Amino acid sequence: MKMSYIIFRKELLDTIRDRRTIISMIVVPLLLIPLLITISSRMFISQTVEAREKILTVGLLTHGNAPDLRSMLLADDRIQLKENITADSARYLIEADHMDAFIEIEPDFDSHIANLNTGTITLYFKSTGDRSIEKGRVLRYIEKFERELLADRLHSLHLDESIVRTVDIRERNLATARDIMADVIGGLLPYMFIIFCFMGGMYPAIDLAAGEKERGTLETLLTSPASRFEILMGKFGVVALAGILTAILGIVGLYIGFTQVKEIPTELVRTILGLLEPQSIILLLSLLFPLTIFFASVLLSLSIYAKSYKEAQSIISPMMIVVIVPAFLGMLPGVTLNTTTALIPILNVSLMTKAIIAGTVTPGLLITVYLSLILFAGFGLVICSRIFNRESVIFR
Amino acid sequence: MINVTNIWKTFKLDRQQRKERQNGKQNRVVHAVAGISFECKPGRIFTLLGPNGAGKTTALRMVATLLKPTSGTITVGGIDALRQPNEVRKKIGFLTGTTRLYDRLTPEEIVKYYADLHGMDKEKFRLRKNELFDLLGIHEFARRRIGKLSTGMRQKVSIARTIIHDPQIIVFDEPTVGLDVITARHIIDLIRDCKQAGKTIIFSTHIMGEVSLLSDDLAIIHNGKLCYNGAYDDFRERMKTSSLDEEFIKIIGEAEG
Repeated sequence: MKMSYIIFRKELLDTIRDRRTIISMIVVPLLLIPLLITISSRMFISQTVEAREKILTVGLLTHGNAPDLRSMLLADDRIQLKENITADSARYLIEADHMDAFIEIEPDFDSHIANLNTGTITLYFKSTGDRSIEKGRVLRYIEKFERELLADRLHSLHLDESIVRTVDIRERNLATARDIMADVIGGLLPYMFIIFCFMGGMYPAIDLAAGEKERGTLETLLTSPASRFEILMGKFGVVALAGILTAILGIVGLYIGFTQVKEIPTELVRTILGLLEPQSIILLLSLLFPLTIFFASVLLSLSIYAKSYKEAQSIISPMMIVVIVPAFLGMLPGVTLNTTTALIPILNVSLMTKAIIAGTVTPGLLITVYLSLILFAGFGLVICSRIFNRESVIFR
Repeated sequence: MINVTNIWKTFKLDRQQRKERQNGKQNRVVHAVAGISFECKPGRIFTLLGPNGAGKTTALRMVATLLKPTSGTITVGGIDALRQPNEVRKKIGFLTGTTRLYDRLTPEEIVKYYADLHGMDKEKFRLRKNELFDLLGIHEFARRRIGKLSTGMRQKVSIARTIIHDPQIIVFDEPTVGLDVITARHIIDLIRDCKQAGKTIIFSTHIMGEVSLLSDDLAIIHNGKLCYNGAYDDFRERMKTSSLDEEFIKIIGEAEG
């Protein structure tokens, strides 16, 4: 243990003097994450405001019908109406982003309505997700117009409006703000958490194994009285510590991001921060330890196998996808924590983190997740130790 | 004292290596060292001479416990290198020409690191470090990072790192490879000093000048086998050619048949 500690101390000193490690371990989580949150939330808010406030150019072809709808649209000073335009021209203008929407009312619309038939109104728009606010603003008037026509028709038939409403659907969402936020944050948090944990250990692992092999310092270290296992443990400690620290700093970065961005409503920030109670944090950290050991063993095994820093990078970088996929799966709706998913590493951490935040942890599943992670971490360590003991790998 | 008895080291060849060899044979293995035996005595310099790829580094790596022999025995200072490799490593210092240092650490930190690994106490370390830093002139750059030092300065640090724990047995594997004349001279002087101090020294080289400068005992290795093993003075007396170079080429030629 003393040898491992000496090696750990030296490797730690060496690692914290490595610019690449400092960037991935401290700069990215503590500066880049708050910056990304600030920029993305500002962009989102400003785009939403812009979509709500912007003056819409709307084409209208009525064929002399629906004067009430025309009046409604004319009354809105944030809608610029272009009338008597053909459908083909309107289509062209919408496709070229010179027009936001086009409303076409069929020629016999009023007579259809008068004869108690259905009249057709066609709404043309180009929606790519970010345009839904503009579409909603135009559709609101059409729906209002439809409601008025229906009311008039029922009135003329001496019927009450309730006659067309067969079922009164009353939605009562019993989910608390915590439940709703847990679903959103609970998906995002483990994703960040897992990625940072892996990313934090990546550069130290490459540098302390493949890097040392390439530089020719490993051979010298192997002639010291430290056994290979002690050397491995010293290096392993630093890789695991880097992973844990990066994950923790990633969470701190998220905290800074959420608390420092003024555009995010205070209530929302309070709800998000309220999710992270001391008990939740302790549980999250307890998941982090075996996960980091698992990651560290995989990273070190691959790095030891590689001949050079470059080869280690090319082997380890694609591993990021292997980590991202199960982490991402945990974010998908319908993927829940059960005895099967609790056994799959990474995915189990993703799902358990969601459960911790939502406060729905069951002891049985928590133990299964721990056992699975400890088992995989132990297995990873054994493999790593075997690889490190192979002459053909060390002197490749 | 180092005793090497009939050691073999066999490596499995991968497909690429088999292809590269192109010797027509379908050998799946190569004998890097094939049944060599020698003895290195305290206060004497044992030279392992051989061309590139002869098996020198493999043999020395086995002595330094970096590699395990496929068969045979090695004892270093009376300790079985196969059974107690950690104990052997406590007694040896190992320096190669390709030895590198940690660029982000200072000479002082590196020397301290190896002293700690050898379990030296603070006071003993302080005295030994000052002695070596004075001898090698390291003090003036002791706190600068290795990455900013010249090749000569780095080699001095490598020497200090190798002998900080005052080992009784020192293994030098082609220690002057790639070094300039002045830095190479530091190494030659160090090897002589170690001999004067009564240490057991084994060093490998393919440079004839170093052989004549340093050797007390000589072994010539080629294709993993020893072609000569004996006292250097005997070798000089028995030489049938005019120079050491000629004699070496003649012996290698005879070994190849």
